[in-house]
Amino acid sequence: MAGSREARLAALRGRIAAIEAGTRTPTPVLPFGDPAIDGCFPGGGLPLGGWHEVTGAGLEDETGAAPAAFVSLLLRSLFSTGVKTGAIVWVARRDDLFAPGLAGLGFPAGRLIQVRARDEAETLSVLEDALSTQGVAAAVGEAEAPDLTAGRRLQLACERRGGFGVVLHRRPYGGRAGQGGAVSGSASFSRWRIAPSPTPPPPDDIGLGPPRWRVELERCRGGRPGAWILESSDAAHPFRLVSPLADHDMAPAEPGLRRVG
Amino acid sequence: MATEGGTRRLAAVDEAARALGLFAGQKAADALALVPNLATFDHDPAADRAALEALCDWCVRFSPAVAIDGRDGLFLDITGTDHLWGGEAAMLVDLAARLARWGVPARAAIADTAGAAWALARHGDDLSIAPPGQQRAAIQDLPVAALRLEDAAEAQLPRLGLHRVGQLLALPRAQLAKRFGLATTRRLDQALGLAAEALTFRRPASPWFDRLAFLEPISAPEDLARAAGDALALICRRLEAEGRGAKRFEVTFHRLDGRAYPARAGLARIGRDAARLTRLIVPKLDTIDPGFGIEVVTVRAAAVEPMAPAQDRLDADADASLDATLAPLVDRLVNRLGETRVWRADPHASHVPERSVARVAPLDPPSALAGWDPDRPRPVRLFKRPEAITALAKVPDDPPIQFTWRGRSHRVRRAEGPERIGQEWWRAGVGQTDTGPGKIRDYYRVEDDAGGRFWIYRQGLFDGDDAPKWWIHGLFG
Repeated sequence: MAGSREARLAALRGRIAAIEAGTRTPTPVLPFGDPAIDGCFPGGGLPLGGWHEVTGAGLEDETGAAPAAFVSLLLRSLFSTGVKTGAIVWVARRDDLFAPGLAGLGFPAGRLIQVRARDEAETLSVLEDALSTQGVAAAVGEAEAPDLTAGRRLQLACERRGGFGVVLHRRPYGGRAGQGGAVSGSASFSRWRIAPSPTPPPPDDIGLGPPRWRVELERCRGGRPGAWILESSDAAHPFRLVSPLADHDMAPAEPGLRRVG
Repeated sequence: MATEGGTRRLAAVDEAARALGLFAGQKAADALALVPNLATFDHDPAADRAALEALCDWCVRFSPAVAIDGRDGLFLDITGTDHLWGGEAAMLVDLAARLARWGVPARAAIADTAGAAWALARHGDDLSIAPPGQQRAAIQDLPVAALRLEDAAEAQLPRLGLHRVGQLLALPRAQLAKRFGLATTRRLDQALGLAAEALTFRRPASPWFDRLAFLEPISAPEDLARAAGDALALICRRLEAEGRGAKRFEVTFHRLDGRAYPARAGLARIGRDAARLTRLIVPKLDTIDPGFGIEVVTVRAAAVEPMAPAQDRLDADADASLDATLAPLVDRLVNRLGETRVWRADPHASHVPERSVARVAPLDPPSALAGWDPDRPRPVRLFKRPEAITALAKVPDDPPIQFTWRGRSHRVRRAEGPERIGQEWWRAGVGQTDTGPGKIRDYYRVEDDAGGRFWIYRQGLFDGDDAPKWWIHGLFG
């Protein structure tokens, strides 16, 4: 009895997956190279024909530095693993993205086309336009909060050419805190929250070691959430798993956000 | 009316005033004595110039090569465009009639040379046409003032009994040049076509010009879009026939009342695809106010270069070259947002962080410079203007142990640096820039206890009374 029940459930799951996928062919995925992370995704990695939300925690919500670094490393692996070729379009309303900094992380800055949009709607429409263009491997847009319609449009644009889209949630200067995070386009495949994480002293105790991030996978369609401390590495896969967040040594990584005076 | 050395004089008079015996240059007091109810207006040279330029732009419908001459004249180079009107005479009549309809008093003439046309228009019969090669006969009965001579020569000639151009032509050249200057013989030669004369056209003359005239004025938006498409198709067909492509296209809509509305489209790489260009132009037609209707559409291609014909591949999607697929996207973005809003960052040889990036067009070839130095870490976000922070440092030359930025205090756990970056003294003249120690920046990468990494710097050195200031310039992820 139990066996047939499981078989029936498996069959139903397959049918649901077939309905959800529609006429889509299975898209290639971007693996992180670590089973602990890749296991959270249904396909063993981030699918390319979809878009992902990346938000920053605390102060990063406005400055968007750690999310930008995370996204650029993610895109680096897109090229270093040879999954994709083509250009990267980065749309933002502010032009504080600094190409030498991205290049320092190993990001192919020569492929980067930067676009400065005038408002939120323009950002999203340029992002959609770029994603549905052949020759664009990935597109990143810094937006406040795309609504459900915009999210769905992005998803369709991604599916057309298998583009890899990222919406980097970023609050405008002087914007209210905690407003953008409330609305979430559930059309995205996954949502990430990135915060910096303290690094241990480097072996020779001089200077700074490779940067670390506290990466939370908050939501993932068909997968399960997770949280890890990741460190950048120079290998083909840009992240090295340092520890899952459950580790007590790493847990109190929040005090930087306390208010002073 | 203009004020000249304390005297008010008439700067220009209209037809009715001329009939009453007034003339330009007359004293205002004399004129008012002759015509007590004279209506006068202040002379406004800037407005005159603007009106002349507007008229010049309007004349583009007759020929793309229009030059402004002095304060009150226009030269149209109609070589090869008169057949569009069915001959020079018809064209001249059309031009004069249209000008008359706008209330622009004008005289016009056509000749082989700019000099002869100038002479005929100002001193000959209105609407006269000098037959090809017949300038000498056409201008020899005109007064010498028709030759655009220098003031001294022009005043001197009648005193010697030389009133007509024909009399000048009969004199020996050598003596003429000796007596009245080389300019006189040059002007004579220019009028006769023996010497070349360069005109400064308001826009560079280009053979890549086409026009589309309508029997009935059009004004519906979809008609405008179709007309733009037709005009572009016209010029693209010519470009294709000659194996060329262009980067800049301009479609100008000429309204019935003489105003012109240009709509421009630029391409990232040379092209001649009328359908694609039309798609770029059509969104810009919103700004065109058709008024009572558009009667002529002209189209101009600039930056024309040879372009090899390309065969469209059947499996174009499979592996088209990167640039060929990106170009349409870049065109769309550039035409929608403007050229300054779409760029690629190229390395620029400078140590100053804000100058180390050069913005280039996305599809330009990469620069020959090597990339940025990987041993000098740079932030992911660089602020356009560094923000002031208050910092506490244990020892003057140490990185700070604590700093406050945007009302939040950060305790520095570890730091790396300094990296000293100085002013580029060679960028300004000697003594113009302050390259002293006050301009030196010592950059530190610091990490606070939450793991956030900041790029901060101290400007200036600890000496003297001014304490150096601390700034934050960027954020590492």
